[in-house]
Amino acid sequence: MASHIIGFGDTVLDSGAMRRPLRVAARLAWRILVHEKGRSALALVGVFIAILLVFIQLGFFIAVPQGGMLVYDNMRFDLLLVSTNYQFQAQPWQFPHARLTDAAKVVGVAQATPIYFAGAAWQDPSGGTRLDVFLIGFDPAARPFAVDDIERQSDILGKTDTILVDDMTRPIFGPLTVGRRVDLDDRRVTIGGTYHLGTGFLGLGVVLMDEANFFRVTHRRQDPVNLGLITVAPGADKDKVAAELRQKLGDDVQLFDRAELTAHESAYWTSRTSVGLIFGSGLVVSLIVGLMVLYQTLATQIARHLPEFATLKAIGYRDASLAMVVTIESLILAIAAFIPAAVAAMAVYALIRSETLLPLALSPTNVGLVLAAVVIISVGSACLSLSALRRADPAEIF
Amino acid sequence: MLAALAPSRLQFAPSRVPLAWRNLVADKRRLLRASAGIAFAVLLMLVQLGFERGFFAASLNAVVMLDGDLFVINASKYRFGTRNPFAPRELETMRTVSGVATVTPLYAAWMDFFWTSPVDDRPHLVRVFAIDPEAVPVFSLPGIADQQALLKTDDTVLVDSRARSFLGMDGSVTETKLNGTTVKIVGRFPLGPDFMSDGTLVMSARTFAKFYRTTPAALPVETAVIRLKSGEDVAAAQRRLAGALPASLRVMTKSEIVELERDFQAKLSSAAPIFWLGTLVGFIVGTLISYQIIYTELMDRLPQYATLKGIGYGNGYLIASVLRQALLTGIAGYVPAWLLCLAVYKIVGNIALLPLAMTLQLTLVSLGLTLGMCLFAALIAVRRVIAADPAEVF
Repeated sequence: MASHIIGFGDTVLDSGAMRRPLRVAARLAWRILVHEKGRSALALVGVFIAILLVFIQLGFFIAVPQGGMLVYDNMRFDLLLVSTNYQFQAQPWQFPHARLTDAAKVVGVAQATPIYFAGAAWQDPSGGTRLDVFLIGFDPAARPFAVDDIERQSDILGKTDTILVDDMTRPIFGPLTVGRRVDLDDRRVTIGGTYHLGTGFLGLGVVLMDEANFFRVTHRRQDPVNLGLITVAPGADKDKVAAELRQKLGDDVQLFDRAELTAHESAYWTSRTSVGLIFGSGLVVSLIVGLMVLYQTLATQIARHLPEFATLKAIGYRDASLAMVVTIESLILAIAAFIPAAVAAMAVYALIRSETLLPLALSPTNVGLVLAAVVIISVGSACLSLSALRRADPAEIF
Repeated sequence: MLAALAPSRLQFAPSRVPLAWRNLVADKRRLLRASAGIAFAVLLMLVQLGFERGFFAASLNAVVMLDGDLFVINASKYRFGTRNPFAPRELETMRTVSGVATVTPLYAAWMDFFWTSPVDDRPHLVRVFAIDPEAVPVFSLPGIADQQALLKTDDTVLVDSRARSFLGMDGSVTETKLNGTTVKIVGRFPLGPDFMSDGTLVMSARTFAKFYRTTPAALPVETAVIRLKSGEDVAAAQRRLAGALPASLRVMTKSEIVELERDFQAKLSSAAPIFWLGTLVGFIVGTLISYQIIYTELMDRLPQYATLKGIGYGNGYLIASVLRQALLTGIAGYVPAWLLCLAVYKIVGNIALLPLAMTLQLTLVSLGLTLGMCLFAALIAVRRVIAADPAEVF
């Protein structure tokens, strides 16, 4: 056969030279790509957009669960004590304050502090719409928020009927200028300052108040509470403390560590709401479209070089060798497009982050998953487009 | 000479040979690949556009079911879906206004009722509407209007059969606890969840009042649903009502009250931009796919185009043919995508409990985007044909 004329065939049996056909194929693939720079650049742009599309859809898919964690991510606690009826952050239900007092007595617990949640109507004293706003009541001395703006203004919180407002509160609430007076559920309060955290999925606006002010507006008392933030003493074994708390506290409460809480909130957002399905299906469609673009690009490249490939076949190259060339070509394209796409995705994520304050970030796992998907898709579409190559009959092409 | 040439040119300019169509169907495999490529981009756009509409429709699901000529709400309400009621004595004032046939109060609570789900035996927040079962229906939804008489018995409720499954409203549940009180389920209606509510209950005003430890007559009213006598001018009646009522109340037509909620969703919901971005990406990807398809096609047929030029066809004819073929390719991709999308809407809509529906508007917008991306791609690619030199091609 013609296989001994050039290259691939005869060297395969030559042990130790297994890497040679690969290098030859890689060189050929590279030559094809640089031969027509314009075409390759166009293909690269296509693949780039396809990968960017996957990244953007993935971003939306993970943004929602991450948005649900925004406020928790900025609170100081090792363990979170909540009611057994706890749904998610904005619907936490409530439990007796005594559970927190008991928790504080457990060895290894440094601090157990209550957090109070309520909804209220926000209205300008001059009238206008009554807007729903989310209230958080806490003891500033317990320093539950790891947010500079809040810690810096803790003495402002202590003043009677004074509030801090999240600066991401929607514009319909009016200017958040210091000294502006507003009615919260018909009690007049003064804006003492703003802070930069983000409203997550708590509502259109979030107001922080010290406990005493919170109780005055909501007509609630110290008991019951909505959340209990538990800090473990330095040096104490977190798991041991958690086990003891679980054993000692009644069966009307449950305990989450950080990892369990993240899993719970993210499961809530992805499975209880339609978010998972909607962005999940967006992700699937984007993967399919990515596949189409990649496949189209490669099929076009192969169709254009069909005479050359047919010639190679005629002079003895096997289908497998040509498959290797095409696969390498598609991998080079995919990876060359992947890198700028990942960078562009970071930029898009940063934009979404600054616009919404959602803690949207690409984890190495996510980058790895997209890369894996891209590699699988490019190898897959190389295989798909090979069928044209396999049919290529040297006698017919010319 | 020239005069003799002109008529014959004109004769073959209007193409008797449908060149674009013949090119399109010449290679069936290629046509399949091209339409599949475009179809996916179209599907991406349709799905994104459909979700955007679906989210909107879901947030309006209750308010569009209101059945009346005019509606009175508290003037400080910024959206329909929030509790902000007014004093019941105003109902009497409304009844005295001329032209008014019936005034029916609708009571509602979004944050006060917790339904113990038979699925997990835990309390979940639900939306509650309360009506007078003896009065004219305030909701036109089948399942409420025709079953409200069943609510005359105390502690009975109608439940939303399209509520999220973890609430267990769709199953065989016959009674459960609501805020600790046992309620009997006497019927079901298909409404579906929105952003805020996972499920909805309808009960009588008397049952509702028991939860607030008051009487139906003393209950603050969320919305007064007004029907006018037949032949009354709605705008005139609206003015008369507004004049009779204090400024703290607002009289709205059906379209105005729907607009109030729609406006709120459009301004403050963050879902819309996400889906618009998705549509834009679909458009860009679609343009790219179309460009590659059209470009390959043109390159393959360059000798033929050059030949046509050589025998005297003008650029205009060739461009028109390329554009026509691009449009045909677009349609070849659009039709299967449109059909596939019907299935996607049905399946995803049922699982996500989102009202996804193909509308004329969606069809036209997506078709416009599809043809737009194909034309745009063809216009970029057609330069090759213009540049084709018959003398060089062979």
